[in-house]
Amino acid sequence: MSATYFFEPKNFTFPFGTHIAVVEVDRETGDIEFLRYIAVDDCGRVINPMLVDGQVHGGIVQSIGQAMYEEVVYDETGQLVTGTLMDYALPRASHIPEFELDRTETPSPVNPLGVKGVGEAGTIGATPAIVNAIVDALAPFGVKHLDMPIKPENVWQIINRG
Amino acid sequence: MIPAEFDYKAPATLDEAVALLASDLDGAKVLAGGHSLIPAMKLRLAQPQLLVDIARIKSLAYIREEGDQILIGATTTHYQLESSDLLKRICPLLPDCAKSIGDVQVRNKGTIGGSIAHSDPAGDWPAAVLALDADLVLVGPNGERTAKVENFFVDMLTTDLQPGEILREIRIKKPNGRFGHAYQKVPHPASGFAVVGVAVNLVLNDDDSCKSAGIGVTGVGVKAYRANAVETALAGTGLDDNAIAAAIAHVCDGIDPNSDLYASGEYRCHLAQVHARRAIQAAKARVQ
Repeated sequence: MSATYFFEPKNFTFPFGTHIAVVEVDRETGDIEFLRYIAVDDCGRVINPMLVDGQVHGGIVQSIGQAMYEEVVYDETGQLVTGTLMDYALPRASHIPEFELDRTETPSPVNPLGVKGVGEAGTIGATPAIVNAIVDALAPFGVKHLDMPIKPENVWQIINRG
Repeated sequence: MIPAEFDYKAPATLDEAVALLASDLDGAKVLAGGHSLIPAMKLRLAQPQLLVDIARIKSLAYIREEGDQILIGATTTHYQLESSDLLKRICPLLPDCAKSIGDVQVRNKGTIGGSIAHSDPAGDWPAAVLALDADLVLVGPNGERTAKVENFFVDMLTTDLQPGEILREIRIKKPNGRFGHAYQKVPHPASGFAVVGVAVNLVLNDDDSCKSAGIGVTGVGVKAYRANAVETALAGTGLDDNAIAAAIAHVCDGIDPNSDLYASGEYRCHLAQVHARRAIQAAKARVQ
């Protein structure tokens, strides 16, 4: 005897949330420091809060890497010059702020558990929040856009060269 | 990531280590923690035939006072220097510098002598021992000699160590009177090495004017150096903002600054000035 059952949700789920980064830029060095990092996400009904928080933490850290550190660089001969973790910067514990997390729970109507995805919430929300915070800090210098990763020397150049 | 084949010896005494080095002057290398040499071997940038591991010679790791000097054995680990209550009291620049190095695992294994003898252009210890005007005791097949640290760093990864010589001890004149120390560092976000590091050893007169300043700089040039022009410019001043600003303008005098993916030469020099100023101000604030 055998039985096969497929579950196909009626529709996609739409997790949502808001990420807010507060940063301070050192005018002399271009260093960027987080003053606060706040994330409120809604992934529907939360079954294991610790796992959900962990997903958000990991996503934010990955975003900090994209926004401020991680860069693959090749030289003019095509040689990868960021081939080891001595050169390719990943965010470390000392590079990340204390996260202030909260959530709303709006159950999804399209599955029996009312759940929605959360794995990408951090990576989707945090990168633009961080970059926009830095752009906002540099608005007095006419900055409207910055290429990632935003490194201290780039910020210093903007402040000093206008 | 696999090193070339090599022999390994762990002598029990320094004399034995000197004899082992002398047995193969071209092919033997001293291992004193291995946080620079082993990675270099894995990349085959270094291919020694024989490693002479002095980090296992117990009598070579110590911190003690003797007369007006502080004596530090070459294989004293970064962590031992970081956590020394004696040093925190009488020479806080050393623990301050130590705690900025790598992570806990690195500090538990890496040694001050290994770092100084390696002369990495971005190493932290060279800046600190330059600011403190240390003497280095070197022992080799022809006996022992003492070198001024100011003349010790010759070029990138090159020191005044002669073939067969081992750095045995670092000697520092005990800071006395009204002194203040500080180490300011910009760590590279990936490697943790100093993009710029400035070590400051200030001594003040009773009227708060600057009696002397020792300034060691790392990360900026091909080797760590003493910023003599800054030291001279600070001496005799009241260390007010104008005096400090005038002095730090000279921090890169005569130096061709390094340029890499993280920091151009121009930015590095600028960082050296900013952190020299911050280190001088921090050292001044710590004077008792």
